[in-house]
Amino acid sequence: MRNGGENRGRLLLVILIVSSLFLITLDLRGVNVLDGLRSGTQTALSPFQRAGNVVLTPVKNFVSDITHLGRTRNQIEDLRKQNQKLREQLISRKNQDGEIDQLKSILDLAGTARFKIVSAKVIAQGSSLAFTRTITIDAGSGNGIKKNMTVIAGDGLVGVVKEVLANSAIVMLATDPAFKVGVRVAGSQQIGILAGLGSSTANLQLLDNQTTIKIGDILLARGSINAQPFVPGVPVGRVTSVSNAAGAVTQSATVKYFVNFGSLGVVSVVVKAPKADPRDALAPVKPAPTPIPTVTVFVTPSPSASASGD
Amino acid sequence: MLLRRSVITSTIFLLFFITQEAVISQLSFPAGGFSIFLIITLLWAALSTPEVAAAVGFGAGILLDLAPSTSGPLGHWTLILVLMSYAIAFFSYGDENMRGNPLSLILMVTLAQVIVLISYLVTGFLLGNSATGFAQTSITIIGSGLWTLVVTPLMLPAVAWLHDLAFDSRMRI
Repeated sequence: MRNGGENRGRLLLVILIVSSLFLITLDLRGVNVLDGLRSGTQTALSPFQRAGNVVLTPVKNFVSDITHLGRTRNQIEDLRKQNQKLREQLISRKNQDGEIDQLKSILDLAGTARFKIVSAKVIAQGSSLAFTRTITIDAGSGNGIKKNMTVIAGDGLVGVVKEVLANSAIVMLATDPAFKVGVRVAGSQQIGILAGLGSSTANLQLLDNQTTIKIGDILLARGSINAQPFVPGVPVGRVTSVSNAAGAVTQSATVKYFVNFGSLGVVSVVVKAPKADPRDALAPVKPAPTPIPTVTVFVTPSPSASASGD
Repeated sequence: MLLRRSVITSTIFLLFFITQEAVISQLSFPAGGFSIFLIITLLWAALSTPEVAAAVGFGAGILLDLAPSTSGPLGHWTLILVLMSYAIAFFSYGDENMRGNPLSLILMVTLAQVIVLISYLVTGFLLGNSATGFAQTSITIIGSGLWTLVVTPLMLPAVAWLHDLAFDSRMRI
């Protein structure tokens, strides 16, 4: 009985081994049915594999994060550095773009007036705690800059050169409380004296008590003898309010400068002015108001409405 | 009786096969990882008679051969598992010291797993499968053996209980 069981077992083993070898032979001979079986298994398993993947992905990510902790930290550090570098490049690029814009507008202004200019970068601003408004530029006597030369930006007058060194110069801004410039009103040619107030506005004192000024009037530099310290025709600012104090000898007004003194990057020093006064040629053009479109609606009464009215 | 055993055993193996392919294979364990399907096959064989073990090895081998991750010819795993399952059952069947001792079972299954892998590698090489580097192969085989040594004790109680359920045997590990 025992021998019979063992024989049956061995027979089964032999049959299974032969079956396995048969399968191997069939597969190696390239029987297509077997390929179909494998692809069928793959088809049947794929939903389970997808479900397994959905369930396991967070676990795998967690394990991966833990096992790659050091590497991930280094990667983050590298990316931070790259990010910082790119930010710096971007800021530098934006800064350069701004300077190019400013330079372009200065060249437009100087070109129209035929000024000979030396452009310079603003390298420092004077402390406002000293109660003066100054900037330092990176051009000096070596570049042909002298004391009392007019300094302009794309929008108009910036100030006047106060001190000159070999490679730099200090410019007194038009906002400085000690700053005074003779101006005239574009168009009416009334003259006055504009004095800085330490802010973006200035005080205008007209010289003629017979003339009047109104809000929106544009002021241009009147110019000095030999164009120093001020070249004529440079836009200075626009009248924002007019003071009509009773008993005042002359009329005064508040003027807002054209130049934004907070964002000066590049300025130009006028080293030579043309003999001819540009007059009002440099006065900024007032922006034309945008026309508001008129909408006309035609309404035709419906026949039913007129019938009910009858 | 035979039908009941076959159905229960097939269902259990099918579930472990799906678990292996859908879950375990997707987790990248270091040093090759482990196969719970191979572990259950070898454990099941160790708890069965040689005839049953050979039949179980045949069925498990067919499933492994049909697995999408298998690259060898169909019948390759079948041949290896038929022989190994029969061998493991042949050595353990009737020896209650061996089958009743969990430590012996774990060591036997671990050793069998290593032999299975080496056999699969060698026969695969003879059948024309491309061989990987020696170092990598060694790491995979040794790593798999160590993993099996760790995972088998965890699976043993469950597999023994399922085996009892299928065969109504009163053996307790």
